[in-house]
Amino acid sequence: MIKFAFATATLAFSVSFALAQDKPAPPPMWQQGRPASLADSKLAPNPGKMTETQASEVPLDKLKLPKGFKVEVWAAGLVGGRAMAFSDSGKKIYVGTRGIGRVYEVTDAGDKRTVRVVVDKLNQPSGVAFQGGSLYVMAIDKVLRYDGIEDKPSGAPVDMTKAFDLPPEQHHNWKYLAFGPDKKLYVPFGGPCNICEPPTKEYAQLRRYNPDGTGKEVIATGIRNTQGFDWHPKTGEIWFTDHGRDWLGDNGPEDELNRISKPGLFFGFPYCHAKGIPDPDVAKGKKDACKDVTLPVTTMGPHAAVMGIKFYTGDMFPKEYQGVAFIARKGSWNRTKKFGYDVVTVKATADGKNPKITPFMTGFMDPKANSFWGRPAYISQLKDGSLLVSDEQLGVIYRISYGAPKK
Amino acid sequence: MTAGIPSIAAQPKIFTENYLVMTREGIRGNDAMQGLLKSVPDREIVALAVYFSKLTARKPDGAVDKTLFARGKQVAAQNRCATCHERDFRGREQMPRLAGQREDFLAEAMLAYRQYRRPGGDTLMAAALYGISEPDLKALAHYLSRVK
Ligand code: HEC
Repeated sequence: MIKFAFATATLAFSVSFALAQDKPAPPPMWQQGRPASLADSKLAPNPGKMTETQASEVPLDKLKLPKGFKVEVWAAGLVGGRAMAFSDSGKKIYVGTRGIGRVYEVTDAGDKRTVRVVVDKLNQPSGVAFQGGSLYVMAIDKVLRYDGIEDKPSGAPVDMTKAFDLPPEQHHNWKYLAFGPDKKLYVPFGGPCNICEPPTKEYAQLRRYNPDGTGKEVIATGIRNTQGFDWHPKTGEIWFTDHGRDWLGDNGPEDELNRISKPGLFFGFPYCHAKGIPDPDVAKGKKDACKDVTLPVTTMGPHAAVMGIKFYTGDMFPKEYQGVAFIARKGSWNRTKKFGYDVVTVKATADGKNPKITPFMTGFMDPKANSFWGRPAYISQLKDGSLLVSDEQLGVIYRISYGAPKK
Repeated sequence: MTAGIPSIAAQPKIFTENYLVMTREGIRGNDAMQGLLKSVPDREIVALAVYFSKLTARKPDGAVDKTLFARGKQVAAQNRCATCHERDFRGREQMPRLAGQREDFLAEAMLAYRQYRRPGGDTLMAAALYGISEPDLKALAHYLSRVK
């Protein structure tokens, strides 16, 4: 309750400031916690690309994979394409976006893919999920359901927005969505700022709902901004990625990979980051900022922008990849030297011990020039055991397959 | 030029690309513009963006209200607008030129961000205006439209 009172006080504070003309405005939310030493830093989010890239324009030869793996451009023309959801038949893949406001449908016709836009003009419709013949689309301020879309490609959606009770703040509230083994829809609600006491209790949490929006439950709190989760193939527990806060320098606090071993855990935001770093702004003077905080399985690198996670369960890749987590790191902006821009594997025991991070797909970034050309975002597994990786920057999907290397 | 329509001369290429795509998609701007861009393919949008980025910037608006200008300058400095938009507000990459832009357009754009009526861009821009009063937004628009 103390938390809540404090948040209300800050709100009242900013309102009175807004009325008193000659006093300075309070710091904007996104740069709250930005120290004087970084006040004039010119770091800013990387620009996205809103125009199409042809498959032939992708510098595939720059990509590096372990021996025996092959990469191809599997689909192109999906500007801003991020998370992918398979239809029940597996023949269609739905792909969400942010700025361009579209959801795509990719149809696999064997040797080639066709792409169409299912819906556009939405406010960052990054959340896509499929269950029981229906496609679910979640934008920052809207939830749509397309029943029987595989057979009725132009059927009108059902507007489900009211049922899901979406909060008003928009920052960090674009979605990643997935149905769990329990058939419930899992939906994250990010902290609406870089670092702050959230204005109300509806933020910085993971919820699940029945598919129709009833039965809302908060299953974990203290989550700043998760953009990817998957269920462990052995334990059925959720593992989720989470973005660390900005403006504390090049080295951290690092992004996280977390495990939800039971409902009700608190993952630290806004007081405690990474493996137990008290927040210098929000937790100032708080002695036990990391008390009762569930620490990550592993940190994932400074400002790495960890996105999609997929535990490998196919039978195409060599045995050592069974049950290993593939994680896409979209790459940093709040860091002078670029970091991430790759897909890594994380091998750990089922209870999250002995994590080992190994680069898997690299070459999107040129460390010497401190530049990048692609941003891997999400990973999905095809029936044949090959992996799809979406590149949000170029709007293409790569397919990674394995064939025993020739001697 | 008509009120509410921005000058896009000397805008960074990526910003104009994004702006034209968002307008074509009906996410931004007005119906007239959307109609014009309706069947313009991406490659032509890229070419247009390159062309506009090479034009000379519009001359700053006329009469300066000294008090308003000073206040705008102060608010821009306090909120570090220049870290993204560049010290002379000429913009870079996806961040637009603000210097010399039409005052009415700037004022409306900022209000629209604040009221979440300007989707498509990064939510950071709306967050950058968090807590700035409406009179201060007007001062910012006055200052930015006349800054040299
Ligand atoms: C974190 C970087 C960042 C900061 C800081 C920032 N901006 Fe922006 N600004 C942007 C981006 C990116 C856009 C374009 C977004 C879009 O396309 O909607 C933008 C767009 C704008 C626009 C719209 C102009 C047009 O032609 O469409 C205005 C006006 C503006 N900013 C004013 C400001 C002011 C005033 C401040 C300081 C209070 C500020 N910005 C701080 C990144 C920033």
